[in-house]
Amino acid sequence: MTVSISSYLMVALILFCVGLYGALTKRNAVVVLLSIELMLNAVNINLVAFSKFGLYPSVTGQIFTLFTMTVAAAEVAVGLAILIALYRNKETVNVDEMDQMKR
Amino acid sequence: MEVKDIFSYDWSYLLPEFIILGFATFLSLLDLFAGKRLGKQVIGWLSFLATVIAAIFVIINMSALDKPYSYMIDMIRIDDYGNAFKLIFLAGTAFAILISLSYLKSGEIQHRGEYYYLLLTGLLGAMVMASSADLITLFVGLELLSLSSYVLVGLRKKSRLSNESAFKYVVSGSIATAVLLFGMSYVYGLTGTTHIYEISFRLAEAGMAGYQFLVYTAFAFLAVGLAFKISAAPNHMWAPDVYQGAPTPVTAFLAVVSKAAGFALIFRVMMISFFNVSNGTGSGRFFFEEGSLYLGIMAAASMIIGNTMALRQTNVKRMMAYSGIAQAGYLLVPFVPPTSLFFSEVIFYLFGYLLVSFGAFAVIMVVSREQETEDLKGFAGLYHRSPVMAVAMSIFLLSLAGIPITVGFFGKFYLFMGTLVVENYWLAAIMIITSVISYYYYFGIIRQMYMRPGTTEAPMVVPKGIWTFILIMAIATVFFGAFPGLVTDYIQIHFNPSFDFGNMLSPSSQ
Repeated sequence: MTVSISSYLMVALILFCVGLYGALTKRNAVVVLLSIELMLNAVNINLVAFSKFGLYPSVTGQIFTLFTMTVAAAEVAVGLAILIALYRNKETVNVDEMDQMKR
Repeated sequence: MEVKDIFSYDWSYLLPEFIILGFATFLSLLDLFAGKRLGKQVIGWLSFLATVIAAIFVIINMSALDKPYSYMIDMIRIDDYGNAFKLIFLAGTAFAILISLSYLKSGEIQHRGEYYYLLLTGLLGAMVMASSADLITLFVGLELLSLSSYVLVGLRKKSRLSNESAFKYVVSGSIATAVLLFGMSYVYGLTGTTHIYEISFRLAEAGMAGYQFLVYTAFAFLAVGLAFKISAAPNHMWAPDVYQGAPTPVTAFLAVVSKAAGFALIFRVMMISFFNVSNGTGSGRFFFEEGSLYLGIMAAASMIIGNTMALRQTNVKRMMAYSGIAQAGYLLVPFVPPTSLFFSEVIFYLFGYLLVSFGAFAVIMVVSREQETEDLKGFAGLYHRSPVMAVAMSIFLLSLAGIPITVGFFGKFYLFMGTLVVENYWLAAIMIITSVISYYYYFGIIRQMYMRPGTTEAPMVVPKGIWTFILIMAIATVFFGAFPGLVTDYIQIHFNPSFDFGNMLSPSSQ
């Protein structure tokens, strides 16, 4: 039994939208970073699905996935480090309290 | 394509990148083992040296190569397009380092070593972005630049503003990355390759085979994701907050190097990937019709939002951020649709923007440090306290506004003429109108400097190094405003002799 490509793409698209929604609406900064991970993982699903069922199946997609995973990890590490620096000065992880600058 | 052994390449053409990488590594080790014993500015001067040596090798490459040299099927590719951008990045980073040498004296940033080698790694990322024709390498270069700049923005660890702007930068940057990657994944799905010259053909075939909708979706995702780095609408909201919170030299770095790198990437990827895609009406090409319209709307929106929002800012750095959004809009104009002159227009504009931005940010740094406020009022009475600073700042602002006798005038003039040639009258009109609006806030600073009394009349003490730097930038702004031909001819002869965007269009044979 094979699952068609459109199912994979739909899962990825839903995951991407859930991630985007979370990143834009959640109050907790850690959850925001988690939601961004969801968006990046949606990309990974897309790439792996395309590397098997795409118009021109090839292994490049899987290689690309390795790069995106590595970079996403680095990005979250930097994000958390900055969040900790912020927490030390301000003692909050709520994004709606990060409003010192003029709007 | 036959697979070549990695030892069969001539790696000497990659020396600029290797030098920056080597210095970044060496300086981080030096800082680790001998950081305490070194003089405070040694690492700064060494990183400055790195940019100078790398620039020399870029110039050597320019004369040594007359056609593009490609490594590993264009994973890295040395062509004139990349070289021109690389020179701008190297000059920008060198200027940022020079300003930083004075900035770091205040001791607000305790991690001096990290500061300099993060600038170098950011530079390396920018250089990769300008000289690659493969989505994977481009993405890694983009992230190298982004990650370095996230940390640089947050390097004033004790400052809440700095922390906050760094966090905002990380979040909005990561979202933009995810959007960009999502677009790239569709491009990959339709083409099965990450090599953009192959993508160019296969995307056209996919468009013909009934996947047009996906092609257009991919285009929209890529455009939105890439708009982040150049701070163009619809992805510009981060810029004011980040510019305000970042240390001033880093703000200048973001405004010039990071933005120019974004342009290098956006022009190459968008143009080549979608070059052959048809728009379904006979011979019409998607990129030159609908795609251009989309980018034109982005440009118009950036110009309008940037210039109108800048009107109500009282913080200078926020104002410069909105001005930067407007400049991003101007820079997108020649891309709508690209003509054969677009490459030299863009490089000339970036060259002028480089001089002017660094000059302006250096003045802002000196003034805001001395007045201990970044408010516009800090500039009040500057003319009576330090005439040279006031006149230099006026020159920079006039150039940003695009008034004659400055380099900014010709930059804008070329863009304007370019857009008239392709009969984009609506875009030209928006460009003129928003430029006129922008006079109001640029002249607002000038009014403060000359006509408002300051809190004190005492002569301002400006550190010698930064004084010389600002003076040189001001003289260069006027000089190249009087003789713009020197630069345009240089660009034409050395980068773009055959009007092919610095060899960007031709896939390499290897």
